[in-house]
Amino acid sequence: MRRTLPITFALTLLAGALAACQGGGNETSTAAFDPATCQGGTLPVLNQSGITHLDPARLYTSGGGNIPSLLFRTLTTRNRQAGEAGAKPAPDLATDLGTPSDGAKTWTYKLRSDIFFEDGSPITAGDVKYGIERSFAPELPGGAPYLRDWLTGAADYQGPYKQPEGITSIETPDDKTIIFKLSKPEGDFPYLATATQFAPVPKAKDKGADYEKHPVSSGPYMVESYEPKKTLNLVRNPHWSRTSDTLRYACPDRIEVTAGLDSAVINQRLQAGAGADANATTTDANVGPEQLAQLGNGGPLDKQVARGEFPSTTYLAFNTSKKPFDDERVRQALSYAINRTSVVNALGGSAVAGPSTTFLPPQKALGYTPYDYFPAGDAGNAAKAKELLAAAGQSNLSIELSHGNDDSEGIGPKVAAAVQDAFKQAGVTVTLNAIETATYRDVIGKPATQPALALSTWGADWPSGGPFLIPIFDGRQIITAGGNFNLAQYNDPAVNSEIDAINALTDPAAAQARWGALDAKLGKLALVIPLTHEKDVNLFGRNVKNAVPDGWRGQYDLSRVSVK
Amino acid sequence: MTLLRRLFDDRAFATGAVIAGIMILIAVFAPLLTKLAGQDPTTFHNELLDSARGGVPIGRFGGISGEHWLGVEPGTGRDLFARVVYGARVSLGVALSALALQLLIGVGVGVAAGLGGRYADAALSRLTDLTLAFPSLVLAIALLAIVPQNWPRPLLLAVVIALLQWGGTARITRGETLSLKTRDYVAAAQVSGAGPWRVARREILPGLAAPVLTYAALVLPSNMITEAGLSFLGVGVRPPTPSWGQMLSSATTWFRADPMYVFLPGGLLFLTLLAFMLVANGVRRVIDPRQSEVLR
Repeated sequence: MRRTLPITFALTLLAGALAACQGGGNETSTAAFDPATCQGGTLPVLNQSGITHLDPARLYTSGGGNIPSLLFRTLTTRNRQAGEAGAKPAPDLATDLGTPSDGAKTWTYKLRSDIFFEDGSPITAGDVKYGIERSFAPELPGGAPYLRDWLTGAADYQGPYKQPEGITSIETPDDKTIIFKLSKPEGDFPYLATATQFAPVPKAKDKGADYEKHPVSSGPYMVESYEPKKTLNLVRNPHWSRTSDTLRYACPDRIEVTAGLDSAVINQRLQAGAGADANATTTDANVGPEQLAQLGNGGPLDKQVARGEFPSTTYLAFNTSKKPFDDERVRQALSYAINRTSVVNALGGSAVAGPSTTFLPPQKALGYTPYDYFPAGDAGNAAKAKELLAAAGQSNLSIELSHGNDDSEGIGPKVAAAVQDAFKQAGVTVTLNAIETATYRDVIGKPATQPALALSTWGADWPSGGPFLIPIFDGRQIITAGGNFNLAQYNDPAVNSEIDAINALTDPAAAQARWGALDAKLGKLALVIPLTHEKDVNLFGRNVKNAVPDGWRGQYDLSRVSVK
Repeated sequence: MTLLRRLFDDRAFATGAVIAGIMILIAVFAPLLTKLAGQDPTTFHNELLDSARGGVPIGRFGGISGEHWLGVEPGTGRDLFARVVYGARVSLGVALSALALQLLIGVGVGVAAGLGGRYADAALSRLTDLTLAFPSLVLAIALLAIVPQNWPRPLLLAVVIALLQWGGTARITRGETLSLKTRDYVAAAQVSGAGPWRVARREILPGLAAPVLTYAALVLPSNMITEAGLSFLGVGVRPPTPSWGQMLSSATTWFRADPMYVFLPGGLLFLTLLAFMLVANGVRRVIDPRQSEVLR
């Protein structure tokens, strides 16, 4: 199973997107906002990157993405509320979140009757099934890997172009019913069904790799023009109706996405708000120091900011199969020595990052359970670290730390230098090994080339403990061919079976408690040193209303903002 | 003595020389100076940063204080005086070592081409042209990216810069050698039985000193720019070793929030380059009056 992308995706989000107050504080004035009368105007979206692909099979999103979600409705979707309420799925094309049976190994969905493509033809269960089958085609790479792992007999499916007979474990007994048969219990299925792979694709309109030039819309907007990596113009889809979709307000008449801008430029334009920029938004530019200096003092910029939190952790990954990190005392010593304040500052200060002593980020939906087994305090506990190193016979320890060669993904030279300085206080000499960011994941994700100590990040594919803990700590997920995320090389059958047991739970509250307990249990082993969790601060133009960060993605939702 | 006097009569040269001299002294005595300031270039000072504001230094002008003479670096709190002073070491050290190597290769190739036969001249001259034609910055980035991390970085930078930019020296040397070769005293040495090696060493090299020295004074600042450029692009010296180019690179996101952080490395780089340019111009004017007309 290739899992190269979850992180990349999370980072993309982080880099630009999220704003976050835990608990969903909304600092914008929404008094004047009324979804009933919000229609009209043009919404510019100023982005650094993104819109590389527009094929729902190729997108890797959390909760269906921000821009993609304007075009594609999915079986379920994130429910677009602020705070904790936002970390839940809601029905979209389906009438409910799905009915589990056979111990959560079978999931049955009924489709709504008032759903149409942009050409007016009704959306059927077969269209949803076809959309999923396309995502298995090697011609359309890039999507999340979960379906291949979960669906019975789908591991070797090559997509509908090579195997038109389709996936037998997805059944469509009639036009409005779709049934998924899984090889193992997966209580999180309704969360996964928010991904764009669950968007309907009409077989007659499928042009393979060229489909993304004009994907057929099922959402409130459709593509007017699209130039990959540069521009995407969206206009209203006449066959979408508000009565069939209460989550997307779809206020602007027109949405114009521009990509390829520098984040500093985006933030300056949003702040200055000249001309059309007063209506502008961004989904991937986090604020920089220039704006942070003007925030929080009651100035005008305070009304143009959304603070959210995308569940994501930056951490130091030990390879416990390599010396000296096979010795638990060494790992503990370094856990004591770490200076999280330096790391927070290296990432841009306390507005955009917070210190983490747990691997799970501090969202209740993920099962966050506080613990701090190796208290390092604000500045690191060098004395305790030295003591442990002496006990391990490693008083003059010299180690190498691998990191990305640029800071764009938050695992670059700045963070590495902060770690280096902290370890130096404990008498540990750290040499830095910069690996090109583009190939970083490939190098550390292949056990043959994996360094002994590496900076890494992990973001949530959906707000649950499973997609956060399983790839990192499930011993059956150690992939020797590459794309491995179990960097600790940790394989404990007891942990693996606990993971299976939690996966079978369909009650999120019960699962949360178990994931939290599992994280706390793993934390004692010091397999990783959690460093920080992400916070996200996004600006928007001064005319933009209802820019409320949702609890799933931490950024404001384009389907709910208004510029009227 | 008269030469020096003539040089220092030129006010521009004098200013440049004094500044350049100070910079070199700073670089040489960097450890002493930072010890004097009671700081070192790599220790983090989180208590001096306003973390909520993105990590800008607390206090005016980038946190200038009695302890931190030039303030601290935003995001880390490392002492800027210490970093700037150590940065001078990298900047000048790399530029000077690269220059030495460049002269060695350039003069060697140039003299060999000038004195060698037709074929040797053709081969070496084409090789020189080839080096000059290469987009050296791009090549340097590629070279530095593939070299193993544990190689000593400053030395590597010097070697790469030298290997890519010896062409100018070689070309000037060859031209001079060709013109010197026709002088009577060289011909005299040759007919009296001196081999090419002796001719090169005894007759040609002394004559090359003036033009090569002049050219070297121009190449030095260009080396500094290359080093700063490579460090700016992230393929220069490795953190935590400070370098001006690297500081400039990380300062780009801070130029409004903490202007001091941009002005320090930028201003110093500018000042040092200007100083060396003034020196180069002065040297050229005095040693090589023929060319000063052309270049003025």
